[in-house]
Amino acid sequence: MRIRSTLTTTATLGAAAVLTAGCLSEGGGGGGGSGNTSNTIEVMYAFAGEQEAGFQAEVEAWAAENDVTVEFSQTGNFNQLINTRVQGNDAPDVALFPQPGIMTDLAGEGLLADLTDVVDQADLDAMIPGALETGQVDGTQYAVPMSINVKSIVFYPKGAAEAAGLTEPPATLEDLQALTEGIAATGTTPWCFGIESEAATGWPATDWVENLMLINYGSETYNEWVNHEIPFNDPQVVDVLEQMEGLLLEEGRTNGGRQSIASSNFNTAANPMFDEPPGCYMYRQGNFVATPGNFPDDVIADIDNQVGVFPMPGLTAEDKPVLGGGDLAGIFSQENESAQKLVQFLSSAEFGTNGYAENGTWFSARTDFDTSLYANEVMKSIGDIAYSSTEFVFDGSDQMPGEVGSGSFWREMTAYISGGTDAKTALDNIEASWPQ
Amino acid sequence: MTIKVLNALLAVLGGVAGAIVLYYLLNKLAELLPGKWEDRVKPYLYLLPALAAIGLYLIYPTIQTFVYSFANARSTEFVGFDNYINLLGSSGFQNTLFNTFLWILIVPAGAIILGLLIATLADRLKPKGEKFSKTLIFLPMAIGAVSAGAIWRFVYASNPPTQDQIGLLNGIVTGFGGEPVNWLQISGFRFNSLLLMVMLLWLQAGFAMVLLSAAIKGVPTETLEAARLDGAGEGAIFFRIVIPQIRTTLITVFITVLIGVLKTFDIVYVMTNGNFNTNVIAVDFFNQLFTNNNAGYAAAIVVMLLIIMIPVLVFQVRQFRAEEAAR
Repeated sequence: MRIRSTLTTTATLGAAAVLTAGCLSEGGGGGGGSGNTSNTIEVMYAFAGEQEAGFQAEVEAWAAENDVTVEFSQTGNFNQLINTRVQGNDAPDVALFPQPGIMTDLAGEGLLADLTDVVDQADLDAMIPGALETGQVDGTQYAVPMSINVKSIVFYPKGAAEAAGLTEPPATLEDLQALTEGIAATGTTPWCFGIESEAATGWPATDWVENLMLINYGSETYNEWVNHEIPFNDPQVVDVLEQMEGLLLEEGRTNGGRQSIASSNFNTAANPMFDEPPGCYMYRQGNFVATPGNFPDDVIADIDNQVGVFPMPGLTAEDKPVLGGGDLAGIFSQENESAQKLVQFLSSAEFGTNGYAENGTWFSARTDFDTSLYANEVMKSIGDIAYSSTEFVFDGSDQMPGEVGSGSFWREMTAYISGGTDAKTALDNIEASWPQ
Repeated sequence: MTIKVLNALLAVLGGVAGAIVLYYLLNKLAELLPGKWEDRVKPYLYLLPALAAIGLYLIYPTIQTFVYSFANARSTEFVGFDNYINLLGSSGFQNTLFNTFLWILIVPAGAIILGLLIATLADRLKPKGEKFSKTLIFLPMAIGAVSAGAIWRFVYASNPPTQDQIGLLNGIVTGFGGEPVNWLQISGFRFNSLLLMVMLLWLQAGFAMVLLSAAIKGVPTETLEAARLDGAGEGAIFFRIVIPQIRTTLITVFITVLIGVLKTFDIVYVMTNGNFNTNVIAVDFFNQLFTNNNAGYAAAIVVMLLIIMIPVLVFQVRQFRAEEAAR
């Protein structure tokens, strides 16, 4: 009995300790809060790894010269954390939003500073058109793009393609379809495709659907679809899936067929391209696959000789639609001069020229950016594709509600591609999952 | 860093001191009461903090979950039984329930059969061999489910036919000249779910084996010898002498594994995330709450899980009481 009561007491003591320990947390860390006026500012962002290291180096160098102290807060879970911190009145001074949706919400609540008079008009004019508009709410500029990524790129094995006589990139979608059939007719698989991404399996398929939506119907219809102003299972979307099926899913179009698409990891799905003879000739993916750990190391080491890129074509040779993404810089501390200076720097022509551009993970959102600063010819071409675009839209699934954009859209595309459901059912299921 | 360490120390000291002060005050409070009442009330006062903690961390959330299961996705408005009706009416969730049911049906029974088999066979080995084989089978117990996922990904991995196969199973299949198979996408007869169950069995068989082996060794040899003298064969001895005497251990193992099965999340999440018709209730709960931000559906799923669990828990408590009474 005595032992038992001692145990209970110890347990309760422990419980009490845990209870009271909660009261002693360290607080918000850093300056924080939207009322901050000091020259110590906190910047919060979602990107990591090399991209983060390059960003910190670039900003640190600037900050040292401009009497600003910058505290870096990286978070993988940006959207959730920014909401929590705003509710707790502990917003960072500057936030680099990885997706426009939440920025639009917060700007709508009047929490973000109007940047119209903060950033020079000349700097705003230099931005890629579609990307700049993403930072606006009702025509007011609340955030400026400070980096972009491009998802309308087709990678191909340079040497093998030349040997096969494929030297002219397709100028129109029809050309691309013809090229696909031409390669398939020779008995080789034209496309590499993989949508496996652990718990996020399916997202690379959504990028394909979005690309084709943009190419076929233009940015206006694309944005209506993304914002659910037209139903997700609109007949136009059904047509797009049929088009995708013709390009990618029919027998002989990809390496191993539909089921292999669902089990091939998107990072390495393109590696058969570099086999001898190539297992496939084309891989549409974002700029980030041309980095170590994705393409084979020996290819990366010799990237300019081995890898070629061309943009996803438009309906006509004049159309140059680009699907991408980027980080949007907005200010919470409305009166903070240091925060304003930082955002001015991030949108200036100087940002990125001190080494950031060379690390291969970052692309400027300015069309006048000197692409020769990028690490290699492939990166340079990707920059050129983005800067010469006629329409630039942000990744749609990133902007849709979580239920759809990172839930049913991924899941149903996986089921559809692996053959579990047909196109119509998949689209109907996604439409049904859209929150009311 | 130093601030964090200091803070931690302060928290521990403050917590302990706070608890001492609390109990001291409660004790003083009890002493204020007249004679008999002091003794009557004191135990309850001492229990109070523990009960309050359980109430706060266990009972309150349970009730809250129950309430939220009748509210909408953001828990702002009551929607009656809508969450339950919508969930149970959707073919996706019906599939999820069916899969969960299969897991319940197959894994605990499988773990017991495997555990018994291994325990009985190992019992016949020489001490060295027994130790070695038992250690080997027990080893996966020390591996977390996510790490098990990393290992089994290499077993089930599948590459396009033109590529080298890095998966064990496909290595064997292509070695015999076959075409590589996408194991985790074969949902006919829930084959892919079965493949995932194999992983949990691999993790749990060691646990079942250790407990059952100890129980089998505890069976008095007199009973076995008596049976042999009466001319019973090995089969009869095993099923009619050994099994009845290790019944309580069997039930304990069964229920422990069963509860583990109902909570199975990591294996499915890591291997398929519920794609290809392999979803189970815990993964669905996670995705409803954290991907879909639908607290209503998530709460409803938890309440259903709770309802499935209650009979099991009641059975276990009864069993435990019966055992205590028999002693």
